[in-house]
Amino acid sequence: MRFVDEFRDAELGRALAGEILSLVEPGRHYKFMEVCGGHTHSIYKYGVDDLLPANVELVHGPGCPVCVIPMGRVDDGIALARQPGVIFTCFGDMLRVPGSNGSLLDAKAAGADVRMVYSPLDALRIAKANPDREVVFFAIGFETTAPSTALTLKRARAEGVSNFSCMCSHVTIVPPLRALMESPDLRLDGFIGPGHVCTVVGARPFEFIPADYGRPVVIAGFEPLDILQAIAMILKQLRDGRCEVENEYTRVVPWEGNLRALEVMAEVFELRAHFEWRGLGFISHSGLRLSDAYAELDAERRFSVPGVRVADPKACQCGEVLKGVIKPWECKVFGTACTPERPIGTCMVSSEGACAAYYNFGRFAREREVV
Amino acid sequence: VNYASAAEVRCGAEHCITCSDEAVAMEVLELDGERELALCQGEDGLRASVEIALVAPVAPGDVLLVHAGTAIAIATAAEARR
Repeated sequence: MRFVDEFRDAELGRALAGEILSLVEPGRHYKFMEVCGGHTHSIYKYGVDDLLPANVELVHGPGCPVCVIPMGRVDDGIALARQPGVIFTCFGDMLRVPGSNGSLLDAKAAGADVRMVYSPLDALRIAKANPDREVVFFAIGFETTAPSTALTLKRARAEGVSNFSCMCSHVTIVPPLRALMESPDLRLDGFIGPGHVCTVVGARPFEFIPADYGRPVVIAGFEPLDILQAIAMILKQLRDGRCEVENEYTRVVPWEGNLRALEVMAEVFELRAHFEWRGLGFISHSGLRLSDAYAELDAERRFSVPGVRVADPKACQCGEVLKGVIKPWECKVFGTACTPERPIGTCMVSSEGACAAYYNFGRFAREREVV
Repeated sequence: VNYASAAEVRCGAEHCITCSDEAVAMEVLELDGERELALCQGEDGLRASVEIALVAPVAPGDVLLVHAGTAIAIATAAEARR
């Protein structure tokens, strides 16, 4: 398919790897963060890190929406799912995220009506087909997913679907990045920016990284050549002493984002004062809830939700993985007590979680290395 | 894709549907203007109805970036701008 195949060309990949090698200063260690879980997945899937010089290190960022959902929030979802007459809908990955007392999948096994959907529109369809039941959609995701939820809520209102509501756990990417930059235990030299979040919000929201923290950002696509090209662009900025936001992913990311998407989001959502992130704690203005104009579609206002804060399991080091402080395999329970089949931490659940991506693809390369 | 077991979720989720950030390129086959939907086909050959309110107007042959059933960008737009 156009726009896909040409960005997986092996010849060009090798040429880019050569260019990257020529750009690094020997003796200097480079630490770049790929913000987004989609990049983490591509890096391990295509073995991008094998093409990099030893002194270029990629650190995984907090951009996996499943991984950042705290246990208390999962418990709230399960409490809603158990209410009589409720059909609880959510994306597939969210089903397996452990709460303090089992996952949504366990709740389903115990009799709750929990259904997996591919999009919020599917949840609305279920609501229309079951007018005598209350259908709740558990909305998670960054700015890439939020417009889809917003459009669905607008549609629900326009079509007068009164048995549909949304438990909104959407988050925004900029506040956790700022929190990471303020974190003393992490030193980064540059960022690979989240390409698809940027199709919605544009490149401008990332300008604070060079302006306030003096680090380059290159917004990148998700094919292997995109990621290699972005790394080369960051290295060029560092070599030339420049520091700015650059856009490698011009084939889909306009500088100003998708204005129509931003408009629907502004209409339907408002910022929460605080939102809890797994491993990162409470971050101000980092989560979205439904605006007062859409209050009647807000599941948290329609039903009573416990809203109890639950500490992460002691053995789990997802927080440090999300902050890029440790690598997945450095976690005490990685691949032993915590596997994709029986995850303890959220990073092992989603295919874009750093631990699951590493477990599925990267560990084989590491085994070769260690042997 | 059958999501009956955890292993299948993992294997089936080549691109995670909750994708933090990843969207999927799909080509527009047919338009349903009245419902603001388009029938699209992905690189894996799978077809799906896609919400196009955020990127309309689109035409058959356009390549859309689709995330959670909603098109968030037209890949062909940049080409057209050039």
